[in-house]
Order: sequence, then structure tokens, then C-alpha cells
Amino acid sequence: MKEEEKNNENPLKVNRRHFFSQLSVGIGSLALGSLLIPDLFKGGGAQPLAQQPLGIPHFAPKAKRVIYLFQAGGPSQFESFDYKPTLKKRMGEDLPESIRNGQRLTGMTSGQDKFPLMPSATNFKQYGQSGAWVSDYFPHIAKIADEITVVKSMHTDAINHDPAITFFQTGSQISGRPSMGSWMSYGLGSENKNLPSFVVLTSRGKGNSQGLYSKLWSSGFLDSKHQGVMLRSGKNPVLYLNDPDGISRSDKRHLLNEVSQLNKMHHVETGDDEIESRIAQYEMAYRMQMSVPDVMDISKEPESIVKLYGEDCQVPGTYAANALQARRLAENGVRFIQLYHQGWDQHGNLPNAMAGQAKDVDQASAALVMDLKQRGMLEDTLVVWGGEFGRTNFCQGKFDPKDFGRDHHPRAFSIWMAGGGIKPGLNYGKTDEFGYNIVENPVHVHDFHATLMHAMGLDHEQMTYKYQGRRFRLTDVAGNVIKDLLA
Amino acid sequence: MTRILKNRWVDYAILGLSVFLIFCLIFDAYIELPNLVAWLGRWHPLILHFPIVLLLIAVFLGLTGKKVPDQLLVVAVLSALVTAISGFFLGKETPVKGDLLFWHQWLGGGLALVASLWYVLANRGLSGTVYTKVLQVVMVGLVAVTGHYGGMVTHGEEFLALPTTKKEKEIPENPVIYADVVTTILDDKCVSCHNPNKKKGELLMTNLEELLKGGESGQTLIPGDPIKSQLISRLHLPTEDEEHMPPEGKAPLTQNEIEILERWVALGASDTLRFDQLPKSEPLVVLVKDLMEPKAESKWEKLPVVADSTLQNLASDYLTIERMAANSNALSVDVYLPPEYAAEPIIALERIAANIVELDLSGLPIGTVEMDFVSKCQNLEWLEIDKTPVTDAEVKKLETLKNLRLLKVYETSITDKSIAVFKNAQSLKNLYIWKTDISQSALESFKNEKPGLSINYGINPEIEAFFVASDSVAVSK
Repeated sequence: MKEEEKNNENPLKVNRRHFFSQLSVGIGSLALGSLLIPDLFKGGGAQPLAQQPLGIPHFAPKAKRVIYLFQAGGPSQFESFDYKPTLKKRMGEDLPESIRNGQRLTGMTSGQDKFPLMPSATNFKQYGQSGAWVSDYFPHIAKIADEITVVKSMHTDAINHDPAITFFQTGSQISGRPSMGSWMSYGLGSENKNLPSFVVLTSRGKGNSQGLYSKLWSSGFLDSKHQGVMLRSGKNPVLYLNDPDGISRSDKRHLLNEVSQLNKMHHVETGDDEIESRIAQYEMAYRMQMSVPDVMDISKEPESIVKLYGEDCQVPGTYAANALQARRLAENGVRFIQLYHQGWDQHGNLPNAMAGQAKDVDQASAALVMDLKQRGMLEDTLVVWGGEFGRTNFCQGKFDPKDFGRDHHPRAFSIWMAGGGIKPGLNYGKTDEFGYNIVENPVHVHDFHATLMHAMGLDHEQMTYKYQGRRFRLTDVAGNVIKDLLA
Repeated sequence: MTRILKNRWVDYAILGLSVFLIFCLIFDAYIELPNLVAWLGRWHPLILHFPIVLLLIAVFLGLTGKKVPDQLLVVAVLSALVTAISGFFLGKETPVKGDLLFWHQWLGGGLALVASLWYVLANRGLSGTVYTKVLQVVMVGLVAVTGHYGGMVTHGEEFLALPTTKKEKEIPENPVIYADVVTTILDDKCVSCHNPNKKKGELLMTNLEELLKGGESGQTLIPGDPIKSQLISRLHLPTEDEEHMPPEGKAPLTQNEIEILERWVALGASDTLRFDQLPKSEPLVVLVKDLMEPKAESKWEKLPVVADSTLQNLASDYLTIERMAANSNALSVDVYLPPEYAAEPIIALERIAANIVELDLSGLPIGTVEMDFVSKCQNLEWLEIDKTPVTDAEVKKLETLKNLRLLKVYETSITDKSIAVFKNAQSLKNLYIWKTDISQSALESFKNEKPGLSINYGINPEIEAFFVASDSVAVSK
């Protein structure tokens, strides 16, 4: 062996003397380690459910995929699904302290010395067999009242946007945990190997927008292949989909093979599992080149479908376009599709802004449910519509029924769900006459997560991931499956 | 004859115990036991195994013509008598004896007395004669039957029944909540200890009257108040708790069963309440439904075993095979359109055809070959062949699929001819046939003929018209 080569030897390789001197320390620390952590070297043996090979549900699922229509910012329940005639009767009266009961307020209203009750900016009517109350802002959703289940008793722990949305997405107010879509991808794997199992689409309404960050669809400590893949809302959902001129598919394949060889060598040297993730991502990108253009091509949709979702659905980046896109992705086996629509933060100018926001999402959301239904996909696709918290029953700032605002309210708000595993046409939960506190069947965010996972065939208590010495789960140490909601 | 036998006290002891046992059995009803003696009865389950083993050994030696050691016989007979007497003491704890206990007691007593008789015969030098042989055979029978009854008394009547006869009580279409649901749960989980033979805590759970009467620790069941009803509250105690029911070692109730009992008590613990009388929003509806529907897993238990490696070999980037649930051999198969379509990967699935319960071939240019394969998937429950070039001829092949529950054939060119196939599909619950060449009139008559089938013929035209109408949002200014 040449001297030069010797020096170039992998630094991880050691000589004999070095090896033995290290060995004594090594064995000693192994022994110490096993004393400190008894199950450190425990083998497989009979594995509990949680450690079984993933990619398989714990029990037969009702839903195979989720389309989550996230209304970022906190839509007001008083202008959507929680009808409170008392507010009209007692309009302008101060919110009784017995109702508020010392609940904390955000910095935006904590300075107010009065909390005048503000009735809904719009009218409500009952719809369908279920008799669900829906406001005039949502005429299309009203038409499908019997397909959806309205939960009026959601409550959360957080009162400001960032912690609240992080809580809803990851089960923790502090960022860093895997998003629920990542948990699903981790637990269930993907249906279509050519598309990511977790896809994110974003759109922006005209209302006051709160930020969206990739941490909301991050895989946290899970393998990064489970992170949400955000599709761009412009004309090209994925950049560089087309091969450049003069490069054939086989050239590309050849290049990828070589790169993957290099990466594998690097993996052997460092043992960093993220390199394997990287290899998998390159392969996924290669396959997406084949499948994404086809999946995302809305022009293939017939006229009737375009009309159903509304003409907006032909404009890339709109909520309607994303809703239609979501159906196409679901059809092609994407496990978890999350839409975010920004702009639901009506601290002021609520009547106008809320009407506008509702118009953005009303028709396409309802169309999505009907479209899924006619395709037989509502049977195994769970659709969720809702934000991170609700809004106060009193007005923020000046009392003016024509132009007022509502602050954040975590104690009670409404969402709706439809499809896979959820009972249709149900009105679940009740708030008090002021719409402030829950008086019947509360559903905490953890309960919601547990129920969602249950519908997908996962036991939220078994779905754990050991990281930094403890086991984590989406529902932390809480969460009950709300059986009443299950079909 | 050995020294021991010459000891007369052994004879006296056996005679005395026999007489006492006969006295006990005859004057059962008039005897009241002091506490200490009743406590002796609790030793019955501990000592009863001695006479069983010792007597069987002795009988075995006797029947095979070997000499039965005298010590063995003495100890066997004495332990049999002591066991029978202690058993009698234990039995006194149950005021009203059920059939099982009655027979167990008399057979056990009889066994001890027959054993004594053998001892007498042996002493008279009659061992090895026909008389003793008959006694020995009788004793084997008595040991078996007594033990059998004893086992049923402690562990419930089902305990010693053949496992295959474990009856899955079918819940009828519209069950009476008490008779068809509640009693099933109680029978399954409670009655083995709270029956006429073994009335733990003085509580009988075999009928509603007794439940309402309660037991030792007061009211077991207070209609309308599950929290105060011990029947419910004890279920919720932590399992380590002494009071938790069922006690450690017995099969606990499932969450669903607990909730059913709780809602039933909350609703007044009625014995006439029927399923269809419950309001839709009542949680009991969901709970009972859950119990009525056979669990998917059990439905798929009989499917042939399929190895992960087989699935890996058959799957590709464009063909996903998933197990329906962990440890299940039921498979769900999704096929996506590859750049160059070929039927081979689908045909290759034939070796796992029996395992496929869900199959998605939608959007693929499938034809006769693929449909031939589909028709071989005998356990198929869910089939998607929408947006494919299938025609009536291909749909006809589905006639062989007896378990088909959901079928998507929308956006195909099937015609009225296919309706006959759908009509004959007994298990079919959901059918999606919009955008096909099926005529409106054929569809209408089909709908009338199969009211239980949910036929999706696209979006309700009324609603669709509303959606398509431009700008219908009321913006309040």
C-alpha cells in the first residue's frame, strides 16, 4: 500500500492499538448504559402494535384519505354555524362576568372596559333533514347540510394564531412536532408511490391574513420523507417538471443512479439516515415528473365540473382551484391533502370581510363534497372544514353593527366534517345561549385528532414515535375518540 | 397388612367423617355454620386436588392388578372425606343452590363415601375382587363428573364446554336493548360469578329483578343514575382496585360494553326499550350498532395467509398493495396508470386473488383479460372500474362476485343490460353509475326494485342548478 493511500484512509478506520484502547471504554459504557437504561439492548421479541411495521392501519379503516380545508385565522362561528338569537335580543349589553368567568383575553381586547354583545352580521336558516343552522354567508354549504356533521363544541388551548394553528396541526403549541399529515403518512404510508403521501395547497383570501409557515406541515422528528409537499399555487405546481432540452429520460435516470450511488457511499460512511431520505426524495421527484403534470391538469375536467366548483377553479392559486385539485390528488391516492385558505381574521370590518371570505370558500367546499359523493369517494375520504379557534361574542373596538370586529375565542367554535367514517347530517355539541361556553359534548383538539386517526384506522394511543428518550404521539397524553361522531 | 391399618384410629376417623358427611348432606337445610367453620370451607378449592390425584392413582393401580399401597388408600380416602366436608361448608355460603351446585355436592359426597366403602372392602381382604373393581370404575366416573361440575360452578357453565361451540349470539335487526344486548354482555362477563351456583357478593345477575334487588354492598342498579349504580361505577375503577369488576384475571369489559351498560342505566334500565325507539342522536345507537356489525377483522379471518415478500414482488410504483389492517390477510389494491400500460402486472395478482377485498382499476384502459382476473377475486367487496372502457360484456363477468358491496362504474359505456347483473348482486349496497348509457326509465324501475341499494346517479339536478347559477352569495352591506 502506498504511503499516500494510507493517509487517505477513512478517518473512521482505526489501528489495532487505538482499537483496543477504545474498546475498554466502549464496553464499559455499554455496560453502564444497560444499567442506567434497562431496556437499552432489548431485542425485538413480541412487538407491541406501536412497533409493528408501519404503512398498515391498526384496524380496518373507514377513511383512507383526508382532505383538510383549513380556514387559517379563525372563522367566526356567529356568522357561520352557531346560531345565537340571544345575542340579538341582548345586543349591546355587556357580556356578563358570570359567562366570561375570568377567561384571558388577547392583547387586542384586554384594554376594553366594556364587552358589548354583538349579534350575527347575517341571518340564519335551518336546512335539510338535520335542521342544521347555517348563515346566509354559506348558501352552498347549506345545500349539503345533510352530508355534513357540524361540530359546534370545538375548543382549544391557545388564544393567538401561531400557537393555535401549530396546536391544530401538530398537537402541540410549540413548534417542532410532526404535523398530523406527517403522522398519517408515517403510520399509513402512501397509496400512490408516484405522489407524496402528504400534499399542501395554499390560497389567500382578501381578508386580514395570518402567516403560514412550512413548520405547519413539517415532519418534525419523523423521517423527512413524511413532510408535507407544498404545491405552488401558480401555473407550475412543481418547478422543473419538464426535462431541459437535449436531456432524455434515460439520461436523467442514469444521472440519478450515479448520484444515488454516491449518496449510498456517503450513508455507509456517516450512517446518517437523512441521506436515505434524500435518495428517496430524488426518486420521488423523478416519478412525480411523470405523474404530477397529469394529476394537476385541470383542463381535462369537463365543463359541468368547472361550473360546479365555480368559474374560479380555472384560476390557479384560488381556493376553488385548490379544492378541485384536492379531489384530483385524492383520486390519485394522496393520503393527506391539506388546503390552507388565509384571511379569516376579522378584528374589524367583519360583515364585509367575512362575506368575502365565505364567498371564496363556500361553493367550492360544498362542490368538493358533492363531487366526492358522486364518485363514491366520500365513502372513504374524510373532509374537514374549520379554523384554529372561534371569535368572541362581543365586539372588538367601537360598537357599530354595520362595521365591527370580533377577537379570538378559544372556548367554543364550529367546524364541519363529511365523509369517511363520520356520521352525516349530525349537529354535534352545544354552546350556551351566548355562544361563549360549551354546555354539551365538548370536543377538544386532541379529541378531534384522536377521532380523525380512528377514522383512518389508527389507534392514537398506539401511534407513537420514540425520540429523545420518550415516546411522542399526536394527541400527547390526552384525546378521546368521539364515538358519537362515527358512522 | 401393615402396621398403620392395625391402628384402629384410622378406622374410627374414616367412620366418623363418613357419618358426619352423611349427616351434613341429609340435614343440609337445618345446619347453620359458625364463622370459623364457614372459613374452613374456603379451603375447599385448595385441598380438592389431593383426592382427585390420589384416588386416580389408587384406582389405576387397582385396575391394572397392582397392589394398592395401604398408606396411599388411607390418605386418599381421608382427603376425599375432608374435601367433601369442606366443600359442604363452602356450599353453605350460597343460600339457594342451583342445579350445578346441587349435583356437585351430592356427587362429591357420594365419591367420598364410595372411597370409604373401598377402604372397608380392602380391610376385609376383598381388594382385587370384582366388587372393588366395580367401585373403582364408578369412582373414575364420579371424579370426572364431580370435577366437571365443580369447574363449571367456579368458572361458569361455558368454561368446560367445547371451545368450538362458543356461541356468537346474533343480535337481531331491531334488538330489545336489555334482552338482546345488555344480557349478552352480562352473560359474557359477569354471570360466571353472579349465578345461582356462585352468588358472589350475594348478587345475582341473571335477571333484571335480581339486579334491581342488589347484593351485599347495597344497590347495584339505580335506573337513571349510572354514577351511583355500582354496576357501572365499579367498571370505571382502576383495575388495581379491589372493588373493580370484573376482578383481576377475568376478561374485562370492552370500552364499548361499558358505555352500553352506562347509557342503558342512564336511560332508565328499561327491559322493554327497543333499538328503534332511541332518538338518532342517542349515543347508544352508535354503540349498539358497533356491536351488531361483525368486525371487519373477523370477517377476513379465514382468508389464506399471504407473505409480505409476495406483496413486495407484485407491487410496483404504479401498483400499490396494502393490508387492510395490521395482521390481516385482506388486501387493498390500487393500480395507477403508468406511462406504458400493460395488463401483466394486474394478471400477476391472480395468485393473491382470494385475498383482494378492495380493488381500484379506475381510469385504466382495461379489457376482457383484466376483467377475467377480477371475476376470480371471490372475496372482493369494493371494486372501482369507473372511467374505463368496460362494457356490458365485461360487467357480466362480475356475476361471480358474491361479496361485492360497492361498485363504481360511472363514466363508462354500460347500458341497461348491465342492470340485470346489479340486480343479482345480493351484497351490493352502493352503486355509482352516473354518466353511463343506462336509460332513465330502466334506472327508475331498477330503483323501485332494489330499495335497499343506494344508487348514485350524479349530483341532484336541483342542487346542481343552484351551484351552477352564477353568484348566489348574499353580501350584506
